[in-house]
Amino acid sequence: MNKEPLLKVENLSVTFFTPRGTVTAVREASFEVSRGEVLGIVGESGCGKSTTAFAVMGYLPTTAETGGSISFEGKDISSLSKEDLRELRGNRIAMVYQDPTTSLNPSMKIGIQVQEVISEHLNLDQTARDEKVVELFESVGLADTDQVGDRYPHELSGGMQQRVMIAMALACDPDLLIMDEPTTGLDVTTEATILDLVASLKERVNAGILYVTHNLGVIARVADRVAVMYAGQTVEQSNVKDLFASPKHPYTSGLLSCVPKPPGAGEVSSRLKRIPGFVYSLEESDVSSCLFAERCPLADSECTTVSPALKFIGQNSEVRCFHSDKVEPDTWGGAEERISRKDVASPTVLTGTGITHEYGKRRKKYMAFGPDIDLPVRALNKIDFEMPQGKTLGIVGESGSGKSTLARAVVGLVKAKDGSLQLNGKELDKTVEKRSNEDKSAIQMVFQNPTASLNPKLKIKNTLIRSFMRFSKLNKQESEERAATLMEEVGLDPSYLERLPSELSGGEQQRVAIAGAFATNPEIIVADEAVSSLDVSVQAQVLSLLEDRQQELGNSYIFITHDLGVVRYVSDDIMVVYAGHIAEYGPSEAVLSSPSHPYTEALLSAVPIPDPSAKPNPLRLEGAVPTMREEFTGCFFASRCPRKLESICDTEAPPIQKIPGNETHVINCHIAIEDLEKIQA
Amino acid sequence: MGLDRHPVERYTVWIKNAVQGDLGMAARGGATINSMVKSRLPNSALLAAVAFLIAVPTSLLAGVLAGTRPDTKLDRILSIGSLLAISIPEFIIGVILMMVFATKLGWFPSSSILLPGETILGSPKILVLPTLTITGALFAYILRMARANVIEVMESNYVRTAILKGLSMRQVVFKHVLPNAMIPTITVIANNVGWMFGGIIVVEFVFAYPGIGSLLIMAIDNRDMRLLQSTALVIAAIYAFANLAADLLYGLLNPRVRVGQ
Repeated sequence: MNKEPLLKVENLSVTFFTPRGTVTAVREASFEVSRGEVLGIVGESGCGKSTTAFAVMGYLPTTAETGGSISFEGKDISSLSKEDLRELRGNRIAMVYQDPTTSLNPSMKIGIQVQEVISEHLNLDQTARDEKVVELFESVGLADTDQVGDRYPHELSGGMQQRVMIAMALACDPDLLIMDEPTTGLDVTTEATILDLVASLKERVNAGILYVTHNLGVIARVADRVAVMYAGQTVEQSNVKDLFASPKHPYTSGLLSCVPKPPGAGEVSSRLKRIPGFVYSLEESDVSSCLFAERCPLADSECTTVSPALKFIGQNSEVRCFHSDKVEPDTWGGAEERISRKDVASPTVLTGTGITHEYGKRRKKYMAFGPDIDLPVRALNKIDFEMPQGKTLGIVGESGSGKSTLARAVVGLVKAKDGSLQLNGKELDKTVEKRSNEDKSAIQMVFQNPTASLNPKLKIKNTLIRSFMRFSKLNKQESEERAATLMEEVGLDPSYLERLPSELSGGEQQRVAIAGAFATNPEIIVADEAVSSLDVSVQAQVLSLLEDRQQELGNSYIFITHDLGVVRYVSDDIMVVYAGHIAEYGPSEAVLSSPSHPYTEALLSAVPIPDPSAKPNPLRLEGAVPTMREEFTGCFFASRCPRKLESICDTEAPPIQKIPGNETHVINCHIAIEDLEKIQA
Repeated sequence: MGLDRHPVERYTVWIKNAVQGDLGMAARGGATINSMVKSRLPNSALLAAVAFLIAVPTSLLAGVLAGTRPDTKLDRILSIGSLLAISIPEFIIGVILMMVFATKLGWFPSSSILLPGETILGSPKILVLPTLTITGALFAYILRMARANVIEVMESNYVRTAILKGLSMRQVVFKHVLPNAMIPTITVIANNVGWMFGGIIVVEFVFAYPGIGSLLIMAIDNRDMRLLQSTALVIAAIYAFANLAADLLYGLLNPRVRVGQ
């Protein structure tokens, strides 16, 4: 065990000098990676994970100042000459990046982009290079390996692009592979196939892998050991099983308990735990305290005056905390019971019938004649739903499945081509412009990106009082008073009213957006990926806020998300949509347990589970959601269905089957319910 | 001239002839407009071509140099210099050049008037000052465009990928930065062909250069509506054609807008 580790990072610090002040992105990061193991680095955004990864590549802006040491096979990276560093990059250390679409050169064929690394570092002739590229494409599971190299990046899906990036990284059999959030931004089904590939690399290549991610489920799936980072420090390091079973740092423990549990059978009976506050500001430079102290339930006077050092606590485990022996499951409070709403009958507030929408128009080659050259995208196809009062309807599906279009049709931001919406039995106009003020205030929306949806030039106050003045007809002073109470209700200090959105963090901005939606006292709030861009600790805060408000006021939520853990936590009913069609719809625990539609089944098996002992379900979906321009000749899911039957799925639209014993649960599939149950058992 | 006929009829006759390439007679001088355009258009094209051949490669080179080393001394000089060149109108640059090189130093003639029987190729000296004037503004404009695009591409994720592949800076710039930075730049250049003809009118007037621009000014002076209309038509056609070429070129360079079969 005494052999030199492949990569050894000791007390790394990285400081950026910007015109607006110094930012210490990394302050005390220490970890090691050995050959043949995967070290996961996990933490929220702004914790210095990516900066650390790029520091290992020796790739930081010239204005950055680094301290500590990074040694690769005993050699310090910072002491290498430019030539030596080039010899290392792409050859001995290779990297896979977060966003494959922008990380590939858009005007160069992908085969050439992969060849470039080979010709730079290996001494092969043209035929050998060509063979090597095909071999690499095969090893990362790309189809049609002979021809795919002639394609440009934009001709490939996101998942295929990431496979190309991985092929490029593997080209010279690197000793160290750095993967920086390689699946973030991909659909959960694509993510699962990429994670399978990464897991198989562990067996195939004799390299050390440094895997950076914010997703605990992904870490549990791929990592052997984990380093947790907070505010630029490594705060805990241990093997993956111990970390998930008994975290020793309060931050790790908090992170693990504020992630909604993965989909499974049964109702979620206890509330999410919450880490208060936000990630420590990186602009502070002199630190003489534990950086986590202000958010930590265990903090005492020692924590605020002395900075803790990493200490060994057993084999290969380290933690940066004075009170690591006191961290236990109840550190972040005991289990808070949730009130079950399962059997509470409630009246329907909103009904949608046959909602259909198309983007674009049919165009023929010669005006009104000739073959079609452009068909409309059938984004929604006869969607029916019912929204019970005081409950939450979750809508899930991959990107491009029509979730957001449905949300926009409900709010009236797109004019549905067909179908009707009824609010409390009264017909709603299809477009928001034509709806009455009452109808407008009854349905409000919270968007995914709070930074983009708040007017950057308006103070928070002015954003909020507009709805009071307009919808409640209050005067300015009354509106300001109401705005102040509203701010307190969403957990923000009323002094924030005088600030601009840019002076708030992402989580605070989303609270303001939620406050704005509540300002009209709505019956229904449509949340379109409202927590997707937030860090898990902030996400838990926002989800709890929404939950509290709903219990107090009895609003209904339409909650759109791609995160099945979140949807299970918030929803009473779940609608699974695919290619603009309802695949499955029903009470959430029924939808998330067997029998399910094959699409639901595939989505569920793709979710990475934050438990390293969980066996991954091997069911995978290949390809992507169809463009929905052509009319489906058979089932909408036939092209990707892992459970497809002979012929009938290609020729006939599937029937709507009710589950015996639960009339509200429907599955839109040809396979008989009892057969589905049998296959999925 | 057919002034006794109905305006609609005269207009249709004019159109019919114009699309067949016959622009009719000038109001004065008794020459056909066709022959006047034919004798002057090549002169303008020559001026434009020479200015282009000088300005494009040099400005691209300078733009790339500045863009790959932002905030260095070289970049500052080029940026400030180009800003100056853009903000001074051509007729002032032209006059200054004339004062320095023609009046003071006497190296080049101050006017480009051709005596009967002379051709421009026979006395290339008269090309120098007009070319320099046009080149100045064009050079500055393309330089700024190229610089901005190079800087943008240098910060892109795929250039980061290229650097972290271990490629040398030269390879990164030539294989990854330039092709992508040149796509929008070349489109701008092609669009500039049309814009340059506007500049040429002024420059030709300043140097009394016998091109299509001075023909246009002459038409205005003489209130010769037909000639004015026809020269404007020719310039507009060149402009439209240059824009079309720019769009086609963009499609050729950028695989993302190429239309599939």
